[in-house]
Amino acid sequence: MDRMFQRIMRGLVETGRAPHYAELARALGLSTDEGRLILHDVMQAYPIGWLHPETDYIASFPPLNNLPTQYRISARGEQRWFAQCGFEATSVTWLFPGETVRIDAPCLDCGDPVTVEMRDGRITWLDPPEIVGHLNYGFGASRGKPQFL
Amino acid sequence: MNLFRSEEHARRWPAFQARAAEGFITLVELAGFFGTQTRRHMLDADYLSAWYPRRAAERRAYLESIGKTTPFWLGTPDA
Repeated sequence: MDRMFQRIMRGLVETGRAPHYAELARALGLSTDEGRLILHDVMQAYPIGWLHPETDYIASFPPLNNLPTQYRISARGEQRWFAQCGFEATSVTWLFPGETVRIDAPCLDCGDPVTVEMRDGRITWLDPPEIVGHLNYGFGASRGKPQFL
Repeated sequence: MNLFRSEEHARRWPAFQARAAEGFITLVELAGFFGTQTRRHMLDADYLSAWYPRRAAERRAYLESIGKTTPFWLGTPDA
C-alpha cells in the first residue's frame, strides 16, 4: 500500500491529477484488478481522502483534490492543482520543498480574492493581511457534516 | 475548513454556523497545525505505514498547545 500511496501522491504533484487504478497497476507491476483492490485498501487506510461515490475514481487525496475546489494551487509557474479545503491548502507547501506555493481562492462571503504564498511551511505573503481560517462544523464524525466543508 | 478575507467576512457568510464562532484560527496557527512533523513526510516512501498513523496524536498535541481544547476542535463527543 505504501508504494501505491506514493504513486498517487507523486502523480498528483507531477501532473495535477490523480492516476487511474489501471495506470497505477501498470506502474506497480500489478494486474488491473489487483490495482483496483489495492486502491480501495489505500483509501480505507487514508480515510481523509475518498473515491467518488459508486466509482473507483479518486476524488480527494489530501492535501490535494482531484475534483476541482475553490482552492487553486500554483507552483512552478502554473496553476495545476487544487487543495481539498482551505486548511489542507496550507499543507501543500510540503509537497513542493524549496519552492513557492501560492493559494488563490474567492472569499465565500464576498467573492473577492484571498491569496497566500508559502515556502517550506513559512507564510511569505498574504493578501489581505487579515485572512483567517475557519472551521464551520467542527472535527469529528458526530458533527454531522464533513469537516472540510 | 475555509479561508476568509477576515473574521467579519466569515461571520457574514450565509452558511456560518452559530457554534462555529469558536472555529476561527489565525493563519500562522493554521500553518503550524498543517505543518506538523508528519506533514513534512508526505512524499516519503513509508508515509502511509510509518507517518500517517502518528498524525492524530500530533494534531491533538498541536491543538492543545494553541489552546483549542474544546470538543469542536478535538473531535471528541460533547459533554
